[in-house]
Amino acid sequence: MKATGAVSFWQATLAVLWKDLAAEWRSRELLSAMLVFALLVIFIFNFALELQTQLRASLSAGVLWVTLTFAGTLGLNRSLAVEKDRGCLDGLLLAPVDRAAIYAGKALANWVFMLIVAAIMLPLFGLFYNASLILPGVVLVVLLGSEGYVAVGTLLASMAVQARTRDILLPILLFPVVIPVVVAAVKATGGYLQTLPLEEIRPWLNLLGVYDVIFTSVAFMVFDSILEE
Amino acid sequence: MDQPANTVNYFITGYVIIFGAMLAYLVSLVVRWHHLRQDEALLTQLEAEKTNPQAGEAKPHQPV
Amino acid sequence: MSTTPRALVAMDVAAGLALAVATGMVFFYAPLERVMGAVQKVFYFHVAAGWVGMLGFGLAAVAGIAYLVTRRSRWDLLGVAAVEIGLVFTLINVVTGMIWARPVWNTWWTWDPRLTTATIMELVYVAYLMLRQGIEDPERRARFGAVYAIVGFLSVPLTFFSIRIFRTIHPVVLGGGDPTVTGAFAMTPRMTQTLMVSLVAFSLLFMALLWHRLRLGELGERVEQLRLKLQS
Repeated sequence: MKATGAVSFWQATLAVLWKDLAAEWRSRELLSAMLVFALLVIFIFNFALELQTQLRASLSAGVLWVTLTFAGTLGLNRSLAVEKDRGCLDGLLLAPVDRAAIYAGKALANWVFMLIVAAIMLPLFGLFYNASLILPGVVLVVLLGSEGYVAVGTLLASMAVQARTRDILLPILLFPVVIPVVVAAVKATGGYLQTLPLEEIRPWLNLLGVYDVIFTSVAFMVFDSILEE
Repeated sequence: MDQPANTVNYFITGYVIIFGAMLAYLVSLVVRWHHLRQDEALLTQLEAEKTNPQAGEAKPHQPV
Repeated sequence: MSTTPRALVAMDVAAGLALAVATGMVFFYAPLERVMGAVQKVFYFHVAAGWVGMLGFGLAAVAGIAYLVTRRSRWDLLGVAAVEIGLVFTLINVVTGMIWARPVWNTWWTWDPRLTTATIMELVYVAYLMLRQGIEDPERRARFGAVYAIVGFLSVPLTFFSIRIFRTIHPVVLGGGDPTVTGAFAMTPRMTQTLMVSLVAFSLLFMALLWHRLRLGELGERVEQLRLKLQS
């Protein structure tokens, strides 16, 4: 155990994370909505693009990430709207914890949800299109990509839910900012699926890493000023 | 390629758009400025009437 | 009644004169490019507008940081002013880019890194205005605006790099290869001079417009306070 401040930060983070996971375990409303939505998106893509059963690797990477991005928006909006509506944010604010811990906890919970969705989508996707998507490289890209997505997404969603136009605002705020992550994730996933040499994939992994670091740290710095009332 | 391509139309369109956009923005600034000025005048007048009903403007306005 | 400050009038005059000189140079002084012809002259104001757009968005991010540190509403007014002007000039930049692309690359639109990034940037700041519109409380609006201005500006270079790596792996087919090659030209001294004067003129214009927009914001704030005072 180090200094008490550090301990209380992690304790608070874990408490928020635990609260979200426990609530989700009881209701399962967020995950089930994300999953059904993701499935529907895949089905729409199938008809809209007339996908073949043996899908081109580059195309399936794109479909996969668009699906995850859309489903993620649904989850993020719900996750923070619940806090707002039940007044949980106010309760959390009254608690003598670091605000950054609230952000960390919420972001971790959202990341877990995204990863659960991805863990179910990847095998299903492989089943539908007769392809194996569960490669170590793809798993790495999903981890990195969803981290960056959730880091910005949690920050922006906590602003969006406090606005009058909150139902429509999150994708408009999030998508233009998150484009580099989606581009990099699509290209890296496609690279691994096409078994390209690592030199061609590495720039995308680097970009994902840089994005994750920049946006996670900036979110920690500015989150304080979103929650103060 | 001795002669340059004849792209004068594109050139003119370009500059019409550039100056048009800047002009439109200027007009929007002026319009907004005037609207706010009117609001300001109206609000100061209302406030003056509120604090001192007799000192209102010359128009026949009865304080409630 | 507040009158326009002397310095602002001087700045207006300077910006107007500089813009007139730059326009004159573009029309009469800059040489006609050998291959592309007259449309190449769009380039001067195209670049200058892009520069002002970046200046505006960068300034908005700086104002956002300053607001979060000092919590003075003036920084917020500066932020909105800068974003609004940045939007106007980025739009000019994108549209003139398309006008230039049509005769040179034979298409209105290419997924060229710069053009695409500029357009995504435009969308980021449209989102910024929409976020502000959705929030009534001025203090919260300022805070959220500041946060989004910072996040949005950080994403711009990342977007640019991601699209550029994308393009180097997948070369552009349209225009027969790398877009920087087709339509590239060597700058003659006269061209460089014209570009420099255009950049100076647009920078002056930016400052003058920013000042005017800031005054508009201050007036808006005064009116808002009057309204609140009357309602209470």
